[in-house]
Amino acid sequence: MKGVLPMNSQIKKGILDLCVLALLEKGDSYGYDLAGSLARKVEVADGTVYPILRKLASEGVVSTYLQESQNGPPRKYYHLTDAGRKKLNSDREEWIKFCGEVNGILKQETGGKADE
Amino acid sequence: MNKTEYLAKLTNELGQMPYGDVKDIIGSIEEHFEEGIVEGRSEEEIAASLGDPKELAAEFKDGAKFKQIMKKRKMSDNFKGPDGRGRIFVIIFNAFVGIECWFILLCAIIAAFMCLAGDAAFIGLIIAGLITGVLTEFIVPFIFLILTLICVAVFLVVLLILGIKYYAKGLKSYIRWNKHVWNYGLGED
Repeated sequence: MKGVLPMNSQIKKGILDLCVLALLEKGDSYGYDLAGSLARKVEVADGTVYPILRKLASEGVVSTYLQESQNGPPRKYYHLTDAGRKKLNSDREEWIKFCGEVNGILKQETGGKADE
Repeated sequence: MNKTEYLAKLTNELGQMPYGDVKDIIGSIEEHFEEGIVEGRSEEEIAASLGDPKELAAEFKDGAKFKQIMKKRKMSDNFKGPDGRGRIFVIIFNAFVGIECWFILLCAIIAAFMCLAGDAAFIGLIIAGLITGVLTEFIVPFIFLILTLICVAVFLVVLLILGIKYYAKGLKSYIRWNKHVWNYGLGED
């Protein structure tokens, strides 16, 4: 997957933190699984999730613990902390509101063009 | 690129990050490889889907920068009003040590200035004596004396320039340190 982060990667980067938090809302998970879930839905490299997880852990919004797996190496699991849940909820609300506003403008723009 | 090559490249790109952090990061990417291999994917395939190790390293480094900022912010968040002990320390330290030290250094600079002035006056006096013909004997030793005095003057000028420069620099950071202790106390930095 080359050139998977295009020009608007800056916009993506900011919002990916929120996506990872949202993935963890469903339950604790480990790196490989999260990488797959994220890369399946958003066009990013599998590796992208790891720096994000690290950053989130240093912020204290996720915590980690090790758990043995049956047929592979021990897995580092990530858990959404209370602070993380709080952050997820407020950021999600803000994002949805912002998207609504942006869409409002974008739709207006195309509407205006159609009128010409 | 296979697993070993990918991890080596990533380690290399992470550069001067603390050893513990690099070990941790490499550990998680290694785990990613192992999981993929268990799933039956090839090392090359996993490496390709992970993305360019250079870009990945850059993202880790960005995150580390963020971590430092957060740490600083946390420090100021935890900060609950000025610490009285810090202020008392600043006052006492300055009264008994700080101001005296800076004053002595200032005196040294002033003394060097005066030496320079005396030196210049002496040179002037001898030259004047030589020109007006007051000094008729020992002309050669006096010329040597002038040369020596000029060397002393040059030395003093260099000393003063450096002295003033580092005095200003040192005083500035000393004041900054005082302000920090005044505002945040002596605690961890």
